[in-house]
Amino acid sequence: MTKALSIFASRSQLGPFEQQVLQKLWSQGSATVRELLADGQIHQAYTTVMTTMDRLYKKGLLDRVGEGRAFRYTPRHSHEELQRVTALESIRQLLGSDDASSLPLSYLVEALSTHDAQLLDELQLLVERKRRELKGRDGKGSDRKERGQR
Amino acid sequence: MFALRGIAVSLTFFVLLYCLLSALVAVAWRSLRWLRVTEQSLAALLFAFRVLPLAASVVITFAFVVPSFQLLEPRSMNIDEGMGAVPFALGVCALSLIACGCFRVFTAQSRTCRVVARWLEGARPLKVDAAAQTYAQTVTFPSRCEAPPLTLVGIRRPRVLVSESTVALLSQDELRVALKHELAHMRSRDNLKKLVLRFCPFPGMAGLESAWSQAAELAADDAAVSRLDDAVDLAAALVKLSRLVPVEAAPLCTVGFVTGSISARVERLLSWDETDKARAPRIRTWYVVPSVAALLLCVFATYGPALSLTHEVTEWLVR
Repeated sequence: MTKALSIFASRSQLGPFEQQVLQKLWSQGSATVRELLADGQIHQAYTTVMTTMDRLYKKGLLDRVGEGRAFRYTPRHSHEELQRVTALESIRQLLGSDDASSLPLSYLVEALSTHDAQLLDELQLLVERKRRELKGRDGKGSDRKERGQR
Repeated sequence: MFALRGIAVSLTFFVLLYCLLSALVAVAWRSLRWLRVTEQSLAALLFAFRVLPLAASVVITFAFVVPSFQLLEPRSMNIDEGMGAVPFALGVCALSLIACGCFRVFTAQSRTCRVVARWLEGARPLKVDAAAQTYAQTVTFPSRCEAPPLTLVGIRRPRVLVSESTVALLSQDELRVALKHELAHMRSRDNLKKLVLRFCPFPGMAGLESAWSQAAELAADDAAVSRLDDAVDLAAALVKLSRLVPVEAAPLCTVGFVTGSISARVERLLSWDETDKARAPRIRTWYVVPSVAALLLCVFATYGPALSLTHEVTEWLVR
């Protein structure tokens, strides 16, 4: 993992507009400020977008190359990479937050257990729905058979 | 000295070939994931790919290196000619690799025996349906928090262990299909395969081993299920038993029912389609027979020149 990404994850948070710009760049691959504004999904002034992209470049999240009088920006890291480092950094901060190092870990385990239990509840609901669906189908099938016999 | 030199040269060739093939496998195995075959075939292919470096290195060493040294190496050597630093060092590496493999197998097996003996205290055969063959090799054990709810143990005499709480929690259909899943693991000798994987250590193989493990689980799911009702029962059993999984990790030479990605398995079972299953091509064992026969024919036809070539290579290695 690159140093710049770790530094970003530990020191700074992304604002909503910065996240929107990054999402657009991940979907497009690379773009100039004018290209980002072209499809009309971003309702901000040209200078605001330019400043935001410049800030993301200075945070080490974008690369840029000169193209005429403007810059073409490319994301330096993939979405998955950024998520992974952010999650790792959050866990590291959590574990280092207290002298009693076992306490934050127990919070993490508790959160994971709750998440697992919720996931299992959702899966249980899916299974029950499928069972009802199958019963309904069998019921209709047997009704048709009875009618046929009559 | 001649025998020692022969052993060192053979071990050198073995370790170099093993490392080369293992590195190739560690890079190339991902291409197997794109194959559109049944999970059973995919699991077999992944396992074959994982053990290929060890099997090929052993076969080539014994079929070519040892005979080429015995037949072509002059026995009247100068007394001054030693073993050589490179063959000696690589020979030690090969012996360390073999010792490491043996140690890993021994520790895994002894830990498994110890833990399973603890689980089996007070266990008795399961008597749910005396006529059903499904339960012939199945024993229940008193529920303990550290034991998995349903698992396959043993290599020579494999048995399915099912906890009392599992029997109480699952309906008869769910229990039947869950046991069929474990018996499918028994038929494909997955515990023995796990032990074999322990014997051939190499860095960078974790991804391949994990993919094999997941494919083996899905293959056992496929073997246990023959219609949609079974699939839903198996999914229900999986969700129920996921709540009973202990915190303590199970020993290596066991195959637990609740392993791999539970949500992926449940979703796959709920979207069960028999026609899809029938459509996926299965790779039969006899498919490899023509290739092996052709290979053996080539080896017999060119054995003499191949031995000379091997001898030249070993000479180059020793120099």
